[in-house]
Amino acid sequence: MADLAIGSAAQNKSAIDKAWGRIVGLSKRSPTSVIGFGIILFFGFLALFAPLVMPYDPVQANPDLILQGPSAAHWFGTDGNGMDVLSRVIYGSRFAFGIAIPVVIVALALGVPIGLYAGYKGGNIDEIIMRVVDAFRVFPSIILALAVVAAAGPSLLNVVLVIGILDAPIFVRVVRAEVLALRSSNFVEAGVIVGNPTRRILFVHLLPNAISGAMAQTAVRGAWAVRISATLAFLGIGIQPPTPEWGAMIRQGAEFMVNGQWWVGIFPGVALILMVLGLNMFGDGLQDLLDPKRRSAGK
Amino acid sequence: MTLRAMLMRRLVLALPLLLGILFFTFMLVRLGGQDPVGLLAGPTATTEEIEIIRNELGLDKPLFTQFAIYIENVFQGDIGRSWISNRSVLHDILERIPITLELLLWGVAIGALIGVPIGLRAAFRHDKLFDHISRSVSLLGFSIPTYFLGLLLLFVFFFLLGWAPPGLGRISLLISPPPTITGSYLIDSLLTGNFDAAGSAFSQLVLPVISVAIISAAPIVKHTRAIALEVIGSDFVRFARASGLPTERVRRIVLKNSSTPVTTFIGTELTGLVGSVSLIEYVFAWGGVGQYGLNAIIRGDFAAVQGYVLFLALFSLLVFIIVDLLVLVLEPRAGAE
Amino acid sequence: MNLRKSLMGVAGAAALTAFLGGAAAAETLVIAAPGTPEGFDGDALRPFTQHVVVQTYEGLTRYPKIMRDGKPVLDASRVEGHYAESWTVSNGGKTVTMKLREGVMSQDGNELTAADVEWSWAKSFAQKRTGNFIARVSNVTGVTAKSKYEVDFTLEAPSAIFLNAITLYVPGIYDSTVMKEQATSEDPWGLKYIETNTAGFGAYKLESLRAGEQAIFVANPNYHWDKPFFDRVVWRAVPSEASRVTLLKSGQVQWIDRPSIRQAVQLQRATNVKVEAVTGRSISSLRMNPKFEPFNDARVRRALNMAVDKDAIKRGVFEGTGTTAKSVVPPIVDGYTDKHFTYDYDPDGAKKLLSEAGAEGAEVEILYSDITPWQETMAIQVADQLNRVGLKVTPKRITGSDMRSRGAPAVQDMPFFTFEDGPIVLDPVYTMYLIAHSKGVSNRAAYNNPELDRLVDAARQELDRDKRIALMDEAQKIWVEDAPWIMTVYPDTMEAMSTRITGWTYYPDEHERWSDLRYQ
Repeated sequence: MADLAIGSAAQNKSAIDKAWGRIVGLSKRSPTSVIGFGIILFFGFLALFAPLVMPYDPVQANPDLILQGPSAAHWFGTDGNGMDVLSRVIYGSRFAFGIAIPVVIVALALGVPIGLYAGYKGGNIDEIIMRVVDAFRVFPSIILALAVVAAAGPSLLNVVLVIGILDAPIFVRVVRAEVLALRSSNFVEAGVIVGNPTRRILFVHLLPNAISGAMAQTAVRGAWAVRISATLAFLGIGIQPPTPEWGAMIRQGAEFMVNGQWWVGIFPGVALILMVLGLNMFGDGLQDLLDPKRRSAGK
Repeated sequence: MTLRAMLMRRLVLALPLLLGILFFTFMLVRLGGQDPVGLLAGPTATTEEIEIIRNELGLDKPLFTQFAIYIENVFQGDIGRSWISNRSVLHDILERIPITLELLLWGVAIGALIGVPIGLRAAFRHDKLFDHISRSVSLLGFSIPTYFLGLLLLFVFFFLLGWAPPGLGRISLLISPPPTITGSYLIDSLLTGNFDAAGSAFSQLVLPVISVAIISAAPIVKHTRAIALEVIGSDFVRFARASGLPTERVRRIVLKNSSTPVTTFIGTELTGLVGSVSLIEYVFAWGGVGQYGLNAIIRGDFAAVQGYVLFLALFSLLVFIIVDLLVLVLEPRAGAE
Repeated sequence: MNLRKSLMGVAGAAALTAFLGGAAAAETLVIAAPGTPEGFDGDALRPFTQHVVVQTYEGLTRYPKIMRDGKPVLDASRVEGHYAESWTVSNGGKTVTMKLREGVMSQDGNELTAADVEWSWAKSFAQKRTGNFIARVSNVTGVTAKSKYEVDFTLEAPSAIFLNAITLYVPGIYDSTVMKEQATSEDPWGLKYIETNTAGFGAYKLESLRAGEQAIFVANPNYHWDKPFFDRVVWRAVPSEASRVTLLKSGQVQWIDRPSIRQAVQLQRATNVKVEAVTGRSISSLRMNPKFEPFNDARVRRALNMAVDKDAIKRGVFEGTGTTAKSVVPPIVDGYTDKHFTYDYDPDGAKKLLSEAGAEGAEVEILYSDITPWQETMAIQVADQLNRVGLKVTPKRITGSDMRSRGAPAVQDMPFFTFEDGPIVLDPVYTMYLIAHSKGVSNRAAYNNPELDRLVDAARQELDRDKRIALMDEAQKIWVEDAPWIMTVYPDTMEAMSTRITGWTYYPDEHERWSDLRYQ
């Protein structure tokens, strides 16, 4: 691992080659991660070009088209307000990314520096930080997110912040573990001897080397964020209708299933499963690729 | 170290954690910048009730004193009053614990019965077709939202096929529940020889238990496989293999050495599962602590929310301690450190 | 898809279990509702309180039940004695002496006396809530026991609706013997007790309550009139409407609390379920609070009225049932008029008015709750229509308890929200006083026009029908000009029940009486 860290441009180039080689190897060894990446690309495309792809306005009610089954005009049927389910499912992908990406950024922004610091400083500070991080493990995260969002007020910003904060401990743990392994290595000691300030050592010397384990977690954490925000909306705490968010749509659809109007809830549910599955499959491969522990274990 | 000393040590170590948990539930109603009295009293409170709660909380005092008051109350068993049920939250929760346990334990037991063999087989057939398939299927298990799984099962097995009863609590509305012995309707009705009730309780259990089993099996498969792979890769097993022991013997060694970490994992998994089980309770109107807690969150019954979160944390702590003790019993070496 | 077959299978199995389970004569009615009652005090209405207090508390008077087209209906044009056997009016209409029926026994075995009536009204006066409002609207200022079976009602002025008002469940007549035992110095009226208990003379009493799960009622063993057919009523909380409907279809419950219009229309096709409907007395509305921007400007309120296509709402939300609303007095009430109504659907006119008021592009939230199941759909569809005239409208869900408490007279802090209610006394003056008067308990959105208050107050003292109608005609005109609500539809009242059930009778409070119901 250390050979990746510092050195000449030539070394870096060979590192890139190596990484590329690993990606190619991975796609052979783990086709699931490639499929996962394909699913993410697909939803990413839908999210980016939603206005072009959607056949209808996703929040336009139509009193004369209430609860129509799937047809040529409405592939996924219409919902209880006569809104086009297909358009809503497509638009919903924006919320999936719109939550997953900021959540992971918040969690990284919090977890990585704390993990760096704890690992580097060690001693009591490390002890205290890790105690707090461990304390998070005693709560089921889903319930914790629900309770905090309900108390703080269900706005999109709160949803992102709460899920992001709850996710940070995982990055703290991963980054700290890598820093612990790196701390005694030569280049860090060299940096200290030369008289670099702590901040510089942390972010210039340690961060690039310790970050890969954290990056390996991002896709899986993104999957978790998508799931949990949809759960919030399903319970009616997060994003609210008529906003085309998948969880909120499943909530509405659950009421109609009993009359056989399954399309209102099933389609957004399938989209949600696919998206989360895609992120998880990709994340699984990403962990194989970037996580040093798993890489060696896989040998 | 004796079992008793170990237990004491665990309990002492748990104390700061307990304080942290209490601080969290304490802060929960003070997070959002909303009036904690308003949150705790609920929308139906009268001015007098609000005044009483305001005095009880000591809101004019510094935060630290408020926290002290809160802790004192909690240790006296007073964790507040639910405005929805108008009863003590402690009472509400205690009453529902067996209901949740019935679902959770059946579900995890079946999840483990499915998950452990699959995980082991995947490890033995590492990188073979079975491994890839089981890995993909368990990824699917990780990805399916808990509540959607419940809804889907209800749609297919109740609505389309008519094989299962509607998701509505633990026993048919037409059958009176058995007297409480263990708290599990199924076991209690069998014990009292009430087979109508047992049949109904069983049919009500099937879909929610399958949901919990599926949700719990996915991580069990993943971790069993990882644990077994690690054991297979260990010098010990490599040596056994190299010295030409028959595959069957090697597998038995792997099995034996994986059993403790797998048990530990299933134990700790219980703590995370209580959250998912709450959602399953919600979909199937199961009526346990989970449904109570989610209902409280949805309706803004914050005394009950505090109690629910506290319950979950204590449950996890307890499970961690039990798992530690279990390890000690299974593998006395571990305690020696 | 052999749905029907499978559902009938379930029903068959259920019937079989019922047959095997108990041959005893005890009949149980199982009701599925979104939640359990959150209180049993008619003065402090919480979700489902009203639905159950009408089963446990009854009035001094009642509307006679007659048969029309083979179905029982209430004749709301007449009032007959119930707990009161007879009454005499004296002092120029300002004193009414009620003579109580002897031998009426409470659920706890105490006989109804004048002291109970006095205590119960004193409770309502003290609480200053719903019962106090009923007292005010019918001009009652005092209630005193004259003898064991005689009660004097003192009125500040003669009232045209007094006898109708006392048909209501509130002020409920409590068993004061029991209630006094429950009273404490902090809680002199025993309000804590009736949060989870009942103590009345009505047909049913609460036997047990598991909040959020179920409430069990049993027939009052001492009930003075015919013993109800159902000995037990099991009220189950089933939060999902889909599950409630399923239970009804499968025969596991015999009654569901107010199906949504959409479900009711679907249920009409089910085999073992019947849906009965009557023209209701409610008004579905979106209320604008003039204390808040931009609703402080009457032009904005008028513009919003013009921007909503009520026919589209009727089709999109109410499946084409109900009647388009054009007055705050519903058509079922004497004195209804739609002649002042001027807000036909006119999005361009709405845009023009909004820009005149400088409110184009205003951002507003529509608060809605689950008190009636179609609120969400209505909020969404109205929001969509308002967005089309350039506003930025977001629907936002709050809990039913929140909605009720924030609409209470002392609070009224919601700027814009959906609500549905209507008069339980089918009288125009009562309606206007309830909904439009600044002191009305169902005002909820701080609407206040002194001129309208004056007309209503004058009419409350008036006994002559034509004069009252004329006053209310003028009040309806002011209301339409002020446009404090977007009225949408007068929904039909629909009840869905097992085909075995018969005897359902419509009451102006829109709640069935379990004692009316029986198996065919």
